[in-house]
Formats: sequence, structure tokens, C-alpha cells
Amino acid sequence: MSVILEIKNLDKHFGGIHVTNHVNISVKKGEMSAIIGPNGAGKTTFFNLITGFIPSDDGSVVYEDRDITKERPEKIVKLGMVRAFQVSSLFLEETVFDNVYLAALSNFRKNAKIFADRMAFKDAREHTAFILEKIGLFHCKDLKASELSHGDTKILDIAIALTLNPKILLLDEPTAGMAPDERIKMMHLLKELHEFFQLTTIFIEHDMDMVFGIAETIRVLVQGQLIAEGPPDYIRQHETVIEAYLGKEVL
Amino acid sequence: MKKLKDYLPWICYFVFFLGILLVNPGTHYIHLVARVIIFSLYAVAFNLLYGTTGLVSFGHALFYGIGAYITGMLVKATGPEYFLLFIVLGAAGAAFVSFFIGLLTLRLTGIYFTMLTLAFAQLAWGLTFKLYHFTGGDDGIQAIAKPAMLTGGVTKYYLFSFVVVAICMYILWRIRRSPFGSVLNCIRQNPQRITFLGLNVYKNQLKAFVISAFFAGVAGGLYAGLDGSIHPDMLHWPTSGNAILMATIGGMGTFFGPVIGAGILTGLEEIVGKYTEYWSFSIGVVVLIVVLLFPRGVLGIKRLAGNKNKEEKETEVVCNS
Repeated sequence: MSVILEIKNLDKHFGGIHVTNHVNISVKKGEMSAIIGPNGAGKTTFFNLITGFIPSDDGSVVYEDRDITKERPEKIVKLGMVRAFQVSSLFLEETVFDNVYLAALSNFRKNAKIFADRMAFKDAREHTAFILEKIGLFHCKDLKASELSHGDTKILDIAIALTLNPKILLLDEPTAGMAPDERIKMMHLLKELHEFFQLTTIFIEHDMDMVFGIAETIRVLVQGQLIAEGPPDYIRQHETVIEAYLGKEVL
Repeated sequence: MKKLKDYLPWICYFVFFLGILLVNPGTHYIHLVARVIIFSLYAVAFNLLYGTTGLVSFGHALFYGIGAYITGMLVKATGPEYFLLFIVLGAAGAAFVSFFIGLLTLRLTGIYFTMLTLAFAQLAWGLTFKLYHFTGGDDGIQAIAKPAMLTGGVTKYYLFSFVVVAICMYILWRIRRSPFGSVLNCIRQNPQRITFLGLNVYKNQLKAFVISAFFAGVAGGLYAGLDGSIHPDMLHWPTSGNAILMATIGGMGTFFGPVIGAGILTGLEEIVGKYTEYWSFSIGVVVLIVVLLFPRGVLGIKRLAGNKNKEEKETEVVCNS
């Protein structure tokens, strides 16, 4: 498999704290991978760095043979690296449909049209309906985003990301705050979406059932450093990882 | 059915402002309603920034004033034949200036943006005062002539203003309902997400800023013709404040709300102003009532009532399949 994302020597300080410490990662195309690590390990910062949301101090990010280290975040999204958020990032006054529809307008480059009626774009409407259908939110498309249950806001957040036709999908704790049965549903949903849309998925997660259940590669970040990388069976038995994060009694 | 509901405010708008002419309440009142019409364009243009994009500019008087001064000075310099063209030039001037001010101020957010817009507007106000030979200082510009077509009775200028404002309002209405308008409305709700939809927040805000300034400039130019005189107060901060008041009282979340706000503000000045010079006190009372009782403004009342019903019906919506 070819490499879609090559991160070399990525480095970031916040004042005196070394949040990302010379991280090297190469992500294979089509891979489903997880990033795990204790709170404050720099997982979300890592996403913020590679999506261009905050500038890195050193190192490079190469996506599909193109250096995107200094690119603006919206440009990186247009190139196909899209993220969903730890705390669902929605347009709360808008309906579920409109949340996704705005992403569809962006996807079809119709967002700058200034005199056309916003609903006039058939391709965007159909794409929105298709995504909502696929992700299982179509029946509540007319609800406001603020009226959704917590689990559904997380799903809507992912739906918005998917609408942008990503090649790489970055998910920041897709099951955060969910009940156990919702987590299992989310796990199956992610696996299904990953295969259906032929994505390269990277997710940050604390739920070990999910991490060891669906990830092909697991990367462990501790205090900004990548301390281990490999398939689930390898990580499960990795001495340093057990000591730093997993703990003996869990497994 | 939905179409009719969409156009109902437009029908009310036309019926009210043209109906006034049929009732014919006398020159004084027609002049007064003409002011409401012009203010309403200023307020609706401002609300594209304020209610839609979520940018509280406290310097919109600058663009209103630029529109008025450019129009007034051009008429003084060349005569009134091309009055309409001068209004457009005034608006273009306002848009031109707003581009550079927007470029700088939009780098900041929240209160810092607000204060910087105020600073620029006050700077321009100070300049119009000082540059006596160019702007007429605190005398302003007097006796701005109107083209022959529009002279003789206030009704002609009323109709002229109404047509210009209606066209501008329609353009703004279309913009609000366009994909671009949706983007603006969502920038207010969650700018971070807009970035991660692949859209540039800053560029879209700048576009909104320039469009808003353009139409505020049109309103300023129209006002120059209404009274035939303009003065530096048009650029002073209370004029910027009036835009915020009109939009807030009328309903910043609605398109036509600021029109109602313009009517209330002008009406209060007229009615209470007859009895006391402290008429602006009554504005304070109205603002208090609106903010405390209907935070979404006068036109927002209905929507608030609708939402309450919905909440009673279903407190938590479970939508998982």
C-alpha cells in the first residue's frame, strides 16, 4: 500500500511544554488507525498541527506527495484531509439537513454564489440526502442540531466531514461521552463508512474495545512522543505502553 | 404556500409604504416616513454584518457618512442632473474605504473589532470637522439641489427613495438567502467549523463588510437629497449606535426586523420629541423592554412563541434508529 500521509519530525512547544516531540508517522492509504495515549499526551494538538489549525515549530507534513506544512486549514480540507471534533462542532440553529447541506455547497464549490437561492443546487441536495441516508440521520433531517441527543450530534459531526468527500478522515474521540451501546454502534458505523467511502481513517480514542476492535495500526503518544506503533497484538504486549498507559489489569 | 409566506413581509412592506401616499397625511409625515425608508436600508444593510455574520461594527456611520458626503459634494461641484449616479458613486466610495478598513479590523474579533471600527469612524468624523475647506466643517454642506424631476413636493423624492431602497433591499434579501448568505449566517454560529468546511472565514467576512458598507452608503446618499443638507453628525458615533439599536429593537435575527426598528426609533423621536428634548430617554426604556422581554426583537416575538410550543411537545428528541 502506498503512503498517503508522511509526517516527519513534527515538533511543537506551548511555552515550556513540549506538546509534540519530533513525531514521525507515515500513514498508508486505506488504513484504519488509532492514536491512543493518556490525557494531555498531545493527541488533539497533533490533529491541530497536521490540519494547519495551529502552526508547527518544526518538521513537515506531506500529503499525497505535496508539502502541506504551511497550508491554511481550509486549503487542506479542500485537498481532502477532513476532521470531526471531540466536542461536536455544529451550526446549532440550523437543521440537521442544513448542517450537512452547507458542507455539500462547499464540496461542490457553490458556497460563493451570491444571488442564487441557496436551495437551487440539485447536486448538493442529492449529496446531502445520500450522506444522511448512509449515516442514518435522514429521518431527523428537519430537527435542529440543538435538539439532537449527544450521540447524534457526534454522528452529525462525522456526516458533515464525510460530505466534504475526504480521502483522510480524522476523528477526535468519536465515542466521547457515549453510552456503551452507542459506542458499539459507532464502532460498526465507522468500520462501515471506512470501507464504503474507501477512506484512510485516523481516530483518537480512549475506548480500548473500539481501538483494539477496529484499528489495523495503533500509535501511542505519551507526553508528545510517539512511543510505540504497530498492529493491535504488538501494542497489547508492548512493555512501555502497558506501563505508560494501558496498565496491567486492563488486559 | 411556502412561497406566499416568504413574500408576505414584502407585501406588507409595499402596502405600508405605498399606502401612506394614498392616505396622504401631509408633507410633514411623508417626509418623516421617507426618513424611515432611508434609515431602514441603513439598518438592514448593517444587519447583514450584525445579525447575520455576527460582527458588531460600531463604526457604520462612517460608510453612511461617506455615501452622504460624496453624493453631496458631487452635486455641489457639478449640479444635480446625475443625482442617481452620484448616489452610486457615494456607495462605491463607501465600499472602497470599507475594503481597507475591513482588511485591518477583521483581523480582530469580538470587542476589539468593535472598538477598532469605532476608532476609524471617529477619526473620519474628526476629519470632517477639521477639514473646513473640503467638507464644510461643522456647517456641513447645505442646499444640495435635487434634479428637476424630483423637485416640487416631498412625494416625488419619497417615491424615488422608496424605489431605490426597495431595489437595494431586494438585492440584500437575495444575498441573505443565497449560499453566501448561509455561509455568513453559519460564521456567526461557529466560525471554526466554517474553516473546517474548507471555507475562509476572513474573506467571507470581508465580502459581507464591503457589501454592507455599500448599501449603507446608498442610504447616506439618499439622505443627502432628502433634507438637502448634511452635517458631520452623520459620521458621529450615535449614528453607528442607531444602526445597532434599530436592528436590535426590530429583531436582528430577521431580515425585516431592522425596518420595524427604524420605524420605532424615528417614531419615538417624533412623538416624544414633541414634549421633551430628552426624547432619547424613551429609547432607553424601549431598548430595556425589548432586551428583557423579547430578546429577539419585535419581529422575533412570533418565532419565540413558536419555539416554546415545540419545547413543550418534546423535551428531548431521540432520533437514533
